Amino acid sequence: MDFDFSPEEQKFAEEVEQWLVDNHDPVVMDPTRENFTQLADTPERRAFMKKLAKKGWLGMSWPKEYGGQGIEGVYEFILNEALARHAAPQIGKGVGIIGKTLIRHGSEKLKKEFLPKILAAEVEFAVGYSEPQAGSDAANMQLKADKVDGGWNLNGQKMWTTSAHFADWYWVGARTDPDKAKHDGLSLFLIPMDHEGLEVQSLPTIGKDTTNQVFFKDVFVPDDYLVGTRGRGFQYIAEALDLERFTLFTLSPISERSRVLIDWVKTARRDDKPLREDPNVRRLIAHIATDTALARCLSTRFLCAAKAVNGKPPSVESSQYKLFTTTLSQRVCKDALDITGAAGQMREGQDDAPLAGRFEGAYRATMNETVGGGSSEIQKNIIARRHLGLPKNF
Amino acid sequence: MDIDFSEEQQMIVDMTRGMLNEHSSIDVVREMEDDPKGYPDALWKQMSELGLNGLLIPESYGGGGQTLLEAALVYEELGRALASTPHFVSCVIGAGLLLEAGSDAQREEWLGTIASGDAILTLAWLEPDRGYSQVGVAMQAKSDGDGVVLSGVKRHVHFASSADRMIVLARGDAGVDLYLVDPNSDGVKLTHQLSQGSDCQYRVDFNEVRVPSSARIGAAGSGWTSFDKIMHDGIILLAAQAIGGADRTLLETVAYAKERVQFDKPLGAFQALAHYMADASTAIEGGRVLVHEAAWNRAQGRSISRLAPMAKLFCCEAYRETTRACAQIWGGVAFTIEYDCQLFFRRAKQLQLSWWDTPYLEERVAADVLDG
Ligand SMILES: Cc1cc2nc3c(=O)[nH]c(=O)nc-3n(C[C@H](O)[C@H](O)[C@H](O)COP(=O)(O)OP(=O)(O)OC[C@H]3O[C@@H](n4cnc5c(N)ncnc54)[C@H](O)[C@@H]3O)c2cc1C
Ligand SMILES: Cc1cc2nc3c(=O)[nH]c(=O)nc-3n(C[C@H](O)[C@H](O)[C@H](O)COP(=O)(O)OP(=O)(O)OC[C@H]3O[C@@H](n4cnc5c(N)ncnc54)[C@H](O)[C@@H]3O)c2cc1C
Repeated sequence: MDFDFSPEEQKFAEEVEQWLVDNHDPVVMDPTRENFTQLADTPERRAFMKKLAKKGWLGMSWPKEYGGQGIEGVYEFILNEALARHAAPQIGKGVGIIGKTLIRHGSEKLKKEFLPKILAAEVEFAVGYSEPQAGSDAANMQLKADKVDGGWNLNGQKMWTTSAHFADWYWVGARTDPDKAKHDGLSLFLIPMDHEGLEVQSLPTIGKDTTNQVFFKDVFVPDDYLVGTRGRGFQYIAEALDLERFTLFTLSPISERSRVLIDWVKTARRDDKPLREDPNVRRLIAHIATDTALARCLSTRFLCAAKAVNGKPPSVESSQYKLFTTTLSQRVCKDALDITGAAGQMREGQDDAPLAGRFEGAYRATMNETVGGGSSEIQKNIIARRHLGLPKNF
Repeated sequence: MDIDFSEEQQMIVDMTRGMLNEHSSIDVVREMEDDPKGYPDALWKQMSELGLNGLLIPESYGGGGQTLLEAALVYEELGRALASTPHFVSCVIGAGLLLEAGSDAQREEWLGTIASGDAILTLAWLEPDRGYSQVGVAMQAKSDGDGVVLSGVKRHVHFASSADRMIVLARGDAGVDLYLVDPNSDGVKLTHQLSQGSDCQYRVDFNEVRVPSSARIGAAGSGWTSFDKIMHDGIILLAAQAIGGADRTLLETVAYAKERVQFDKPLGAFQALAHYMADASTAIEGGRVLVHEAAWNRAQGRSISRLAPMAKLFCCEAYRETTRACAQIWGGVAFTIEYDCQLFFRRAKQLQLSWWDTPYLEERVAADVLDG
């Protein structure tokens, strides 16, 4: 047993940390953006991703033949955690979901076209699975893909597409085989986001980020841009979701949040007394610290399991991690507001906002964590079935 | 980073589990409930022979010289089996205090026999209406010639009727001291007391009990520091014990939920119940890693002032919550003595209340996080 990173991993962690300190940029690294989806959604943030790419830090775990370094995923974990700690954009979807799926299942053409661009941070993606009638029940997607000469004709609607308002390419699930069983009738496509017939409408959220709904009207996709095998889309998505849960839900924002709150409590005062002497505050802080340590344990467990099965995402470990961590994330924000009291309601930018309004913003932003990327209930279903072997009745 | 057991560690787990299956079956556990002796001789003998009683004692004293990590693996199994033994008070706390602060003579006299199971030590610490902190130790050790005289009451003294010596916490001129006291001394009176977990506890009345100065463990006034340090080791093991109990409760409940049919479905097909079990398994898996992390850090010689209290705080609550939810899943039968669920349900809460309870642990964690 060994809870430390290996000397090489430790060295890499220090290198990343130093690089992030040296390259600190307050426009790119914005700690008030509490959402887990730290996106490359501005020119400055895209430029930052290019710098990361130049360091050779994108796609480290990809095989060498595709431009990766063929090293263990733990290096990506270390990088991602450091990026999150510095509130920088994450390596996210291109590397973790789309790149890896293309490497495993994509045609030579798609690999040639997209993999180098992903490694160079030259392309941003949006992921379109959810629809009004297909959220948790992802296999129920209804976006129609009709076979036409040389390709496919797509009609219908997607819901909740993060990044659609700035992305270059759309990674979309659609129903190619309506007569087959739900899970077997779906395929994945790649579509340029500025394609004729695609209409993106933004949906404001209670957090800082917007998300979008996207309408498809006779969107033509050439055969070459169907990913992998027709009808296997859902299997690819399920595989990638297990990856996403971990790459998109990093631990650092939570540890950082706990740390910031604890530092504040150490010096804050109420009624002329140090707040940290309040027994109720001490209790809350004890549990935040303990549960944050536990979240780290679940991430360690995931990481070790991932190493053991050689890159195959361990779904139970990732579900347990996501379930516990996203719930904790919300609780830390709630407790922080309870600790700051009435002043906690003041928003960012108000002079009187304690902790610069960070926790008020986070309180709202983190509400989607227990829903997005597979809700807590879905995680519990996965654990109950795959881990405990309970009957498949739900 | 690697959280798997080594081959040798896995062997310790398998050996312990096999031994407990044989010597600490549920029937044996039930026989020991409320028993004034409180542990089966066959089990104790077997633990000694397999080297478990000397696990943490250096080889030079006839022990196994293992680290707290190996001990944590053993404790998860002890918890899984609900094994009733004086191991904790004797081989962990007793031996630990002697190793930490005992004189050469005291170590020579006791460590070998603790390891062989021939001697049992216990701890006389808590007092009526007093808490877990240093302030809780009110019993005075009055100097009298070349010795001290102890008067007062101690509670929650485990396995006192079998103990060769009790380590008594008392307040001397320089602060808290630890004394080795023979329970057969004049003025000592033991009263068996029944607890929620039906384990073996005594109230011990000390009526002008004389002990020589040579019975003190460590320098005058150093007792609390030694005790506090060994308790940090101890609670990591108790956290492991909690995980073992919780894990077994969950696994047995999952098996029941697959078999028992209501409304034409196995209970496990009801999502309301499945989600209780998913939550419990998440807490157990995380708690287990936290225990191992704490024990590993201790074995590496790093500070455990934060991780140890966190481990007991989290794992005991996970145990309690798991047994509560599981009792709910068993339905009416959980409420009967015949079914085993209640054994775990009662012990979970007892373990949480004992050896530093939730408010005390919360305060320890808060102090480490906020006041450091
Ligand atoms: C900010 C944001 C960004 C998002 N970004 C993207 C994106 O980029 N791409 C994308 O494809 N999707 C995205 N999503 C969609 C997200 O994946 C879905 O919201 C999520 O899967 C839940 O689906 P739903 O909202 O339709 O809720 P529903 O599926 O309608 O669920 C509503 C409630 O019912 C519960 N429920 C549903 N099924 C079950 C069941 N079987 N058992 C028990 N309980 C159940 C759920 O847990 C939830 O509590 C995003 C969502 C949000 C909020
Ligand atoms: C002390 C005591 C006294 C009692 N006295 C009487 C009495 O005088 N007369 C009498 O007739 N009965 C009596 N009962 C029986 C009592 O009504 C039953 O225990 C109770 O109805 C639950 O049934 P069960 O124990 O068979 O559990 P089960 O029905 O097996 O239920 C086990 C678990 O599964 C859950 N479950 C079952 N079905 C579903 C479902 N459809 N959806 C979700 N979850 C489900 C339950 O909530 C429970 O958590 C008594 C029980 C006790 C403990």
